[in-house]
Amino acid sequence: MTTNRKHKSDLIILFSTLGLMGLGLVIIYAIGPMRANVLNSTYGQNYDSNYFFLGQLRSVALSLVAFFLAFKVIPYSWLQRYAKLFMIISIALSGLLWVLALSGSSLAKCELGECRWFNLGPVSFQPAELLKLALVFYLATFLNQKKAEGVLGDPREFWLPLAIVCGASLFLVVVAQGDLGTGVALISIIFGMLLVSGLSIKQYLIMVGLVLVVAVGAVATSTHRMERVNAWIATLTQSESSDSTYHIENAMLAIGTGGLFGVGIGNSVQATGYLPESINDSVFAIMGETFGFIGLFIVIGIFGVLLRRILKVAEMTQANDQRLLIVGVFAWTLAQVVVNIMAMTGLVPVTGITLPLLSYGGTSMIFIAFAIGVVLQLSCYTNREVIKNEDISSGRRLRGAHYPSSRRSSRNSK
Amino acid sequence: MPRSNSHQHISSMSDLGARFKILRYLVLLLLAIIVVRLFFIQIVEHDAWVARADKEHTLLETITAKRGEIYMMDHGQPVPIVLNQTTYQVIIDPSVTEKDAIKAALEKYSSEYITVDLNELYSQEGLRYAIVAKNVPHQIASQIAAEGIPAVWFSKNNQRVYPEGELASGLLGFVNDDGLGQYGVEGSLNQTLAGKDGLLKTTADVNKVALSIGKDNVKIPAEDGKNVVLSVDRGLERGVEEIAMKHIENTPATNAAALVMNANTGEVVAMASLPNYDPSNYGHVKDASAYTNQVTEVPYEPASVCKSFAFSAAINEGVMSADTTYFNQGYEIVDDWKINNAEQRSSLYGIINMKTALYWSLNTGSIYALKLLGGNPSAINQQGREKLYDYYYNKFRLGQASGIELIEAEGFIPDPNEGWGRDSVYANMTFGQNLGITMIQTATAYSAVVNGGYWRTPTIVKGYYQDGEIAQINSTTSASDTTGEAPTTEGHQADIAGEAAVGFVANDRIEDKILSDETSAMMRDMFVYNREYKARAGIDRPGYDIGGKSGTAQVIKNGAYDDTMSETVGTYIGYIAPKGGMPQYVIMVKMWAEGAYLDGLIASNLFDDVENYVIDYYRIKPGV
Repeated sequence: MTTNRKHKSDLIILFSTLGLMGLGLVIIYAIGPMRANVLNSTYGQNYDSNYFFLGQLRSVALSLVAFFLAFKVIPYSWLQRYAKLFMIISIALSGLLWVLALSGSSLAKCELGECRWFNLGPVSFQPAELLKLALVFYLATFLNQKKAEGVLGDPREFWLPLAIVCGASLFLVVVAQGDLGTGVALISIIFGMLLVSGLSIKQYLIMVGLVLVVAVGAVATSTHRMERVNAWIATLTQSESSDSTYHIENAMLAIGTGGLFGVGIGNSVQATGYLPESINDSVFAIMGETFGFIGLFIVIGIFGVLLRRILKVAEMTQANDQRLLIVGVFAWTLAQVVVNIMAMTGLVPVTGITLPLLSYGGTSMIFIAFAIGVVLQLSCYTNREVIKNEDISSGRRLRGAHYPSSRRSSRNSK
Repeated sequence: MPRSNSHQHISSMSDLGARFKILRYLVLLLLAIIVVRLFFIQIVEHDAWVARADKEHTLLETITAKRGEIYMMDHGQPVPIVLNQTTYQVIIDPSVTEKDAIKAALEKYSSEYITVDLNELYSQEGLRYAIVAKNVPHQIASQIAAEGIPAVWFSKNNQRVYPEGELASGLLGFVNDDGLGQYGVEGSLNQTLAGKDGLLKTTADVNKVALSIGKDNVKIPAEDGKNVVLSVDRGLERGVEEIAMKHIENTPATNAAALVMNANTGEVVAMASLPNYDPSNYGHVKDASAYTNQVTEVPYEPASVCKSFAFSAAINEGVMSADTTYFNQGYEIVDDWKINNAEQRSSLYGIINMKTALYWSLNTGSIYALKLLGGNPSAINQQGREKLYDYYYNKFRLGQASGIELIEAEGFIPDPNEGWGRDSVYANMTFGQNLGITMIQTATAYSAVVNGGYWRTPTIVKGYYQDGEIAQINSTTSASDTTGEAPTTEGHQADIAGEAAVGFVANDRIEDKILSDETSAMMRDMFVYNREYKARAGIDRPGYDIGGKSGTAQVIKNGAYDDTMSETVGTYIGYIAPKGGMPQYVIMVKMWAEGAYLDGLIASNLFDDVENYVIDYYRIKPGV
């Protein structure tokens, strides 16, 4: 295996990640007191007005720790070595949660009938987030290994173990935890990584078709999921309002009232209880109200730059397993960003998925921060050229594994 | 990476490059779709969303003005008679509020206020709002609140409370469930008491709590209603009511009305319309007539009490005196209608003077006064009718709203010339039949008769109570100031404007000298003479000039006066003066019952007790 000399990490990924975290803090600071007020007056709870901001601050702090651990401390080889164990533990935790939920244990924290969290006293933990990260690591090693063994696409050697692991993960997340959003993210991770695994395009497309059929079947056979789809169609067709369309309508109301420049920080009305999940899943809509089209354009721009940059790092990464991992992180992030925002704008049904790095919610931010941290660590070992250029003339592969110096200096001067 | 076939490797790698390209374009495509969508929502549809948000976020709320309280006087100090109390409705969200917790709290503190069956309430699916208790006093509401049960709200209500119970309920009226004053002072001064509600237009959160966010927030503060101080004296009112109720018990009467007013200012110090009802349970009366203020709202025929006015008119015109004589034959035939005297003792036949005629309340005497007004002692004529009309309607203002700050009936005085049988109608009017006038009109006119001839607008509102002081609102203009022009609607009288819809329009108070001093003095002599027998009996105390006049009114049954006298209304009116002094208080009482005979004599007994009570209550000093 070829190893490139270590160089500076990708600063664009670093700063866009930190920038998004900072933006999340700002918006939670602005609407956290409103959220506390709504909960206090509606449910008679007693949240301090700073409760959510402090919670987000804590999440950001923990995420930064995870981010820099992955970035600077934990060696990639270690992650590679324990990927399989990590996957087993993750599936075991999700399985344990399912069992606890079925037995009605208080250790399983349920909201609106879905049990997605371990209740650990003052903190709660969502194993599905861990599962996404573990799946990325696991698939990276698995796909790399199968490619090395030359059994990519082999029914018994490849598809069977893959189907078992992915099927178990999806079952635990989508069926046991009722978390369609994370399910979408998992599928995105799987197919994103499969796409660059070297699998033949024919097999890949057959698999995509197969999963689509299963997905449509799963949605159509569940009244709960169909309700969301119907609500989404009702919103698209501007038909009558109902309880099910309430969430999408209010998200779009928030975004729509924002206009070009937004109503400004602290002036969000939709955050005062009209929009459900205003601080977590719906934070994008509140940002739309607060910062307007220009603000959202910038947010989407940052996500676009981050995603394109992660993709670029993947493309420039020499080692197959590393490249797979980075694409996994990319697919994960892309799925969350796109599905969340499209739900808020009425383009897809609401699935209940967080907006990476911006939404309130500790587990999700910590794990995605860790994943991006790993990408950042790997970005120190990229080739100077993207791989396709390498392929044309493999003899020049080892030459000059640096960024062009002019580019670095220009960045420093800014 | 193990080196396999180099050609294959290259092709897989360039294939990989293409796949990365797909991912790159996928990012671009998805984000572009989102941006286009956002542009559509935020720029193209922006106005529509703003309009919709305004509709959903704007809270339009009335800021309720605090209703003014009602005071009476008590020895010169205002005392509260009708107060406001804030009570609370307890509201819960059954999907959040724990059933056992709220049930325990409600049963512990406020079981008598629970309005629903909690078990039934909690059996309903999806219920998010329910009122579980009403009229809960503040203290109990705060005890429930202190339990800290989630999703329990308290909504404020203002309620009238009556520390004096039923006292003067017929005068005060009540406030209905819509917060609207009904009957009595609550009704007539509703606008003054209600104040003016303010308006709050604001952006609100999902729980309808006003937010400081938003550009178009409007807040018009409420103008609280004024605290009205009545001139009625609480202690006197209570005493008068107790006395009258005792007389209701001891006579066939079922109802009584009583009025005590200052003879010189027109200020009402007691006004009772009995029996009272409980204004805090106003819905529990058997008959809505219980709400009626008999003193101001019911025109009736006070009968012989009106001889005071016919006599005053003739005396004031200089055509008659107390000593004027006429031939009493016990009856008079007018328009082929025989009008009898109630008193037919033989000693009265022949030539008697007017003082005697008034003493025995002879109808022939008052008819003779009408003849004298016409300048023809042997017959009633047009001039007599017109003069009597002028005195009754224009001078004594009978058949016109008196101007008191209450809901009033106008009543009627028949036209002197229009209609059939004017002479007999006017003959009847001299002894108080064939007309419709209220007690307040009668008492106000009677005050003018005895107080030296001054007709003054009666009043029951002393002023507005604020900051421990009574702000005066009434002013008096002499009649000459307003002659020929309509009363103005400017100035302070606008403050007290009641509801024109119920016939109440407050004018500046009028003072009008309608009778000469001599007329008034002569009338007083006769009124005191009327009661000489009461003085002899020790009922009227020495040292006081108590004058009075009784009235026994036939009522119209089936379109005609019932000559069997099976049902009559007894009225008595009189005044209190220290011996040799001017009258201080005029007292009028009325007693009646369905199908019962109640005459002026029975009413006079009630007057006697009230008169003596007033003397004691005000410690009116005897004269010498």
